[in-house]
Amino acid sequence: MNKLKLNYTSLSFLPILVCIPLGYQLITNLHFGGFKLFQEFFISAFNPKIDNEIIFTVINRLNETILIAFFSWLVSIIFGAIFGILSSNIFYKIFNIPNLFYSIIRFFLTIIRSLHEVVWGLLLMQIYGINFSIGIIAICIPYIAVNSKVFAEQLETIDYKIFESINQINAPKFSFLLTLIWNPIINTFKNFGLYRLECSIRSTLILGLFGIGGIGTSILLSLQTLNFRELWTYLWSLAILIIISSLIFKKIKFNNTNKNLSIIFIVVIFITILLSFSYFLYFVFNNNFENFNSISFLFKSSSDLELFNFLKLILETIILSLLSTGIAISLPPLLIGLFNNNTSKILIKFFAFLLRLIPTPVILITLLTFNNPSLSLAALTLGLHNAGITSKLLFTNLDSQDKSNYIAMKSLGISKKTSWLLGLFSQQAKSYLAYCAYRSDIIIRETAIVGIIGSVGLGWQLQESLSSFAGKEVIMVLTAYSSIAIVGELINGKIKNSLT
Amino acid sequence: MKNTLLELKNISYKYKKNLILNKVNLKINSGEKIALLGKSGSGKTTLISVLNGTIKPTLGEVKLFNKSFEELDRKQKHKITTIWQDLRLIEDLSAEQNVNCGLLAENNFYFAFKNLLNISSFKKAHKYMQLCKLHNSIYDKKIRKLSGGQKQRVAIARSLIQGSNILLADEPFSNLDPKLIKTIKNLLLENVDKNNIKFPKTTLVALHRLDLLNDFDKVIGIRDGKIFFNIKRTNLKKFHLDKIY
Repeated sequence: MNKLKLNYTSLSFLPILVCIPLGYQLITNLHFGGFKLFQEFFISAFNPKIDNEIIFTVINRLNETILIAFFSWLVSIIFGAIFGILSSNIFYKIFNIPNLFYSIIRFFLTIIRSLHEVVWGLLLMQIYGINFSIGIIAICIPYIAVNSKVFAEQLETIDYKIFESINQINAPKFSFLLTLIWNPIINTFKNFGLYRLECSIRSTLILGLFGIGGIGTSILLSLQTLNFRELWTYLWSLAILIIISSLIFKKIKFNNTNKNLSIIFIVVIFITILLSFSYFLYFVFNNNFENFNSISFLFKSSSDLELFNFLKLILETIILSLLSTGIAISLPPLLIGLFNNNTSKILIKFFAFLLRLIPTPVILITLLTFNNPSLSLAALTLGLHNAGITSKLLFTNLDSQDKSNYIAMKSLGISKKTSWLLGLFSQQAKSYLAYCAYRSDIIIRETAIVGIIGSVGLGWQLQESLSSFAGKEVIMVLTAYSSIAIVGELINGKIKNSLT
Repeated sequence: MKNTLLELKNISYKYKKNLILNKVNLKINSGEKIALLGKSGSGKTTLISVLNGTIKPTLGEVKLFNKSFEELDRKQKHKITTIWQDLRLIEDLSAEQNVNCGLLAENNFYFAFKNLLNISSFKKAHKYMQLCKLHNSIYDKKIRKLSGGQKQRVAIARSLIQGSNILLADEPFSNLDPKLIKTIKNLLLENVDKNNIKFPKTTLVALHRLDLLNDFDKVIGIRDGKIFFNIKRTNLKKFHLDKIY
C-alpha cells in the first residue's frame, strides 16, 4: 500500500479529520426542540421587516457602527504605525538604543494583542459602564497592537543595503529614519489599511452584541425577543454596507506622489494624534472615578475556581481553537474541490459571504436551536465563520492564478477534480497554509466570543467571573487566555516562517 | 608633503570562516585618483566598505583624517561618498527624490519630510542630474521604472550632490554605454569645481576594464583579499596584471 505523503496540498486537507470527533459529539447532542425557531429564522431571511420605523433605526444604528468603526480604525492605524516603528529593530539600530527596550515594547504589545476586543470591551464596561467611547477604546487597544506588528514586520523587510547606503550619507538621525521607513509605512497603509477598516466594522458589530452600541446591539435585541424578521433587516442592511464599502475600497487608489493628497494625509495624521490624546485625557479625567476605582475589585476578591476546573477550561479553549482551525483550513478547499462547477462556486461564495456577515454569536445561537451547547458546537461556529474568511482568500487567489496547468491536465483527459487539485490548488496550498497560520492566531482570540455564548472554555469563565466580581478569577482567566494566545502566536509564527 | 586622508593599517576582515581581506595596508592621499583592479570576489567591494566605515574590520585600524571612525562626527564622516556596485537606491522614490537624498546630511528633518512629500525644491538635484546626462523626462519617474544605465547615473548624481571630498566608487561604469562612460569618468575624475558644482578631489574607483585606466594617477591590484601592487599608473606592466587576473 502506498504511504500517504505529507505535502502542502495534503496538509491543507488533513485537518478535516477534526470533523470525526466533532461530528460524533454534535450527533449525540442533537435535539429538535428549536426546529420551529430555526425554520422561522430561515424563512425570515427572505422576508425581512421593512417599514419606516425600522429603516430609521437601521440608518441610526449603521451611523453609530460606521462612526465607532471609522474612528477606532483611524486611531488604531495611526498609532499602530507609530508603535510599529517603535517596535521595529530599524529604529533601535538608527538611534543606537539597547535591544532591551525593543524586547520590552514587543512583549507589552504581544500581551495587549493576545486579548480579543470583546475581552477588552467587557473589562472596560465593568470599569466605566456602557459608553459609546468604550466601543472605540476596546477596538483601539488590541488593534493598535495588531497593526503595530504588521507595520514592524514590514519595516523589518527593509533591505539592509539601503540602510547602509542612507547611513553612509550621514544624515541627521530623524531624517535617516523618515527616509528609510516612509515607503514601507505608506505601502503597508495602502495594502493593509482598508482591510483593517473592514475588520473594524466586524469588531464593532461583535461589540454591539455585547451591548456597546451600533447595529450589533439591535441584532442582539431582536434575537433576544425572537424577532427574526427584524434581525434579518439588520443583517441584510449590514450586508449592503459591507458590499458598498468593499466596492468603494476597490475604487480607492492611494497615490503617494500626489502632493495635495500627501499633505491632507499628514494633516489627518496630526489631527488624529492630537484629538486622540486630548480625548484620552478627557476620558480618563472626566469619567466617573468611583467607577474607575472599581478596578480595585480585581485585586481584592478571592477565587472559588478549583485548579482542576481551571485546567479543564484551559484545555477546552485549546481544543476549541484546534477544532475551529481544522475546519477553517480544510473546509474551503474540500468544498471547492468536490463541487467544482460554476453553480456550486456561486453557492459556496454566497454561503461564505453569509458566514462572514453573520456574527459568530448569532450563528451559535441559531445552531443552538437544534443542538445542545457543547465544545463541538462552539468549534463548529468559529470554524464556519473563519472558513467563510479563508474561502474568500482562496477564491481570490485561485481566480487570479494562471490556469494553464489546469487546462493542460484537463486536455490530457484527467478528471476535473484531479486537475483542479494538482493543476490549481497545489500551487496555492503553501501560501494558503501560511495565511491559515495567521488566521489561527485570530481564532485563538475569538474563542472568547463563542466561549461566552456557548458555555465553553475561558470565555465563559471570564463572563461568569466578571458578573460575580470575582477579580482574582478574572486575572487568572485573563493570564491563561493571554498565555494561550501568545504561545499560539509563537507557534504560528514559526509555521508561517517555514512556509514563506 | 602629501596629506593622508584615509589610511588602512593591517586590516583583516573575516566573514563566516572566509578571510575576505588579509592584512591590507593602504594610504589614500589628498587629490589622488586611484583605480582599484581585481577579479570578481577578490575583495574590492569589501575594501570599499571598510574604507567608508560600513564594515568594521575584524583586525586592524581605519583612519580618516587621522582619526578612527568612532571619533569622527557626522559632518566629518560626510566627507566620504560612495557609489555602490548595486546602486542602493530607494526603488519607491522618484529619481529626483533619490538624488535629493544626497542632501539629507546638510539639511534638517523638514527637508527630508518635504522631499518624501515631493514638495521640496529639486533645482539642485536637477543640476546634478543634467550633469550626469539624465533626460528631464525621467526626473519624476520612480527608480523601478528606469533602465540600468539611468539608475546608475541617478546613483552617481546622488553621490556627487553630497559635495564630499573623497569619492569611493564600486564599478560605476558597468551599466553605461561607451559614450556615457567617457562623460561619467570625466565627472568622477574632475579636478576643478565648475558652475558652483563641487567635485570630489580624491577618488578611488574599482574597475574591471583596463582601457579606462589612463586618467588615473595610481593603480592598486588586489587578489584574494591581499594588495599585490600599489603603484603609479605609468609604472603598470603586464606582469602586474598577470599577478591579479
